[in-house]
Amino acid sequence: MTFLHQSICISPQNTYPEADFSQWKASNNNLLEVIEPAYPGIPAGTRRRMGKSVRMAVGAALPLLENVKQPDGIVIGTANGGMEDCIKFLNQIIEFNEGLLTPGNFVQSTSNASAAQIALITKNHKYNITHVHRGLAFENAMMDIVMLLKENAHSGYLLGCVDEISAYNFNIDRLAGWYREETVQNKDLFIGSFNGSIVGEGAYMVLVNNDMENADAKLAAVKTLHSVHVDEVSESLSKFISENIKEEESIDLLITGENGDIRLTPYYEQIESLFPESIPVARYKHLCGEYFTSSSFACWLSTEIFKNKQFPPDILKKGKVIKPIRRILIYNNFRGLQHAFILLEDVNPH
Amino acid sequence: MEENRDSLKNERSGISQIELYSTNYAGRLPAAEIKISSHQLNCEIFGKPDPAISRTSLLALHAVREAVMDAGLTKEELASPETALVGATTVGGMCLTDELFHDALAKKVGTPYLSSYDYASVTLAIQKQYGIKGEISTINTACSSSANAIVYGARLIRNGFAKRAIVGGAESLAKFTINGFNALNILSSKHCMPFDRDRNGLNLGEGAAFLVLEKEEDQLHKKKYACLSGFGNQNDAYHPSSNSADGEGPFLSMQQALLQSGLQASEIGYINAHGTGTENNDETESVAMKRLFERVPSFASTKSFTGHTLGAAGAMEAVYSVLNLYHQEIYPSLSFLNPIVTTGLIPVSHFSKMELGHVMSNSFGFGGNCSTLIFSKP
Repeated sequence: MTFLHQSICISPQNTYPEADFSQWKASNNNLLEVIEPAYPGIPAGTRRRMGKSVRMAVGAALPLLENVKQPDGIVIGTANGGMEDCIKFLNQIIEFNEGLLTPGNFVQSTSNASAAQIALITKNHKYNITHVHRGLAFENAMMDIVMLLKENAHSGYLLGCVDEISAYNFNIDRLAGWYREETVQNKDLFIGSFNGSIVGEGAYMVLVNNDMENADAKLAAVKTLHSVHVDEVSESLSKFISENIKEEESIDLLITGENGDIRLTPYYEQIESLFPESIPVARYKHLCGEYFTSSSFACWLSTEIFKNKQFPPDILKKGKVIKPIRRILIYNNFRGLQHAFILLEDVNPH
Repeated sequence: MEENRDSLKNERSGISQIELYSTNYAGRLPAAEIKISSHQLNCEIFGKPDPAISRTSLLALHAVREAVMDAGLTKEELASPETALVGATTVGGMCLTDELFHDALAKKVGTPYLSSYDYASVTLAIQKQYGIKGEISTINTACSSSANAIVYGARLIRNGFAKRAIVGGAESLAKFTINGFNALNILSSKHCMPFDRDRNGLNLGEGAAFLVLEKEEDQLHKKKYACLSGFGNQNDAYHPSSNSADGEGPFLSMQQALLQSGLQASEIGYINAHGTGTENNDETESVAMKRLFERVPSFASTKSFTGHTLGAAGAMEAVYSVLNLYHQEIYPSLSFLNPIVTTGLIPVSHFSKMELGHVMSNSFGFGGNCSTLIFSKP
């Protein structure tokens, strides 16, 4: 079985070092940029050489790895890795017409740089992998660890994900129609009918093993699907639920990746309709923005709900939270093709 | 695949000057370029060319088509929720370097390639072509990417998340990688010389290789090339772009693969080495081989034929390893003259027939990502 232990989430909101739900940060020109901590754990020289995504990933990972047994593997999800470094190197290529270039940006831009840096700094020689499958990079990393724990009973892993906003990448995805043309405040993301969303970024790291003691949550199941057909997605979710939840039981909360893009509304409506009215529905992308590994933000929110037995404000879309939340289903839809279902359970339901 | 084998048998390298790809280094830095234009590949695969597809994806589709036909997978099997797909690439659609640069800055209208730059675009092109509904991932661990894709597919099957898996990797020449490796001073202006004392760098290459993995009991009546009997994934944790002097990561990775396969080191008949032809890799890989093997088995680097195809290298060399076993033959390292002074290892320098039970294949990447596969005769 797979249990999530301590986690760190560096996000556009006040999620680290302390979670503060009293005030949500507003977006700026359709961007929600992370609030970066001071990263005291990363040596200053190393930190200066790091691109933002590597810095965020390493900065979220190191505090978790202090005073614990070396993990048996580092498994990271990121769609693009160091996009900013990648484009900086591209700029060099064009600007100097393929002349004499400096390799720093090139080396930093490889998407395995975060997993590699964490291994390098902590001298971890074990399993090390980076999943980069666009909107499912995080879920695939999760799946990898689910399998690792089946393969090696007494082991523990660092699971994480990271994606950064870069001005260039934002431009490419904007041209492709994935972000709003008009400026919208994140608090108004779900008002009106528009194509596109707002962009976000973040890093999430969590220690995972099969020890229930002191765990923040149990990862009961994760499943992904590629499909553009609403019915196929809803059939797949129904199957997922019947396989993973006993008939007399149910989820207590559905968190969806609704992102204010009207083209995805049919999927979310259909998925919501699978559950009775009594099940509250929450959403989160007005807080962290849309990005490839954003379902990790929903995971972090879920463990906060389990741990603190309190419900963050402004995330409820419909319904009422009356009974304690013990089981959360996260459904994320990435650009109408990549779908993910994550089922989390509270392990200390008192 | 047969064309590849023919070249390997006849010691015919694919490394030459760049002719099709537009870069300042054409004619200056040799590379293993596939001499078929993207347009021609596009027409062959789609009939009516897809205007939004990258060369990397085209190469991948070409390889997947051959693998799927060879394995005799039906349309229904391909679209089944039990069919997994795991791709790997380090450049993805960034071979379209100029288009990417345009789209990063364009105000109003982009090129048709807006969704084709990332790594996942390659795997998603395959997903779309065959309507694959099972578990799908794309892996990027630099130059060991597709070795890890093979392992991930095998583990999906072993853990009951798939009945079969299509696994592999693709890479195409790109200004991004040509300039990146050149900036690191590890591209040779001559034909690369893996494991030679006077080696002075690697040649880049492009290509794609995909394999179909199935459980033995599910393919009783099919042609079986080989069995994946062990794999290792360990990190060197030494430097972002070079291996430690004692080859710790490569050593641990080979050791883990051996342990997992339950084989003795002496049972490995041949190693398809990572052998890029750089100062650092070939020496540290040699050190690691000598640490693990009392007597280092026959080994060679087929990168002297294919160049270093980065994210595709692990899968291409896995295919060669599988052919080693299926045809009971070994492929040489070209251009080798003198052994490295400190290690003295001499690679196989000619094609020959050889009785083989188990073949090891190494792939080591930037970021210390070391992977080893062991294939065995079924």
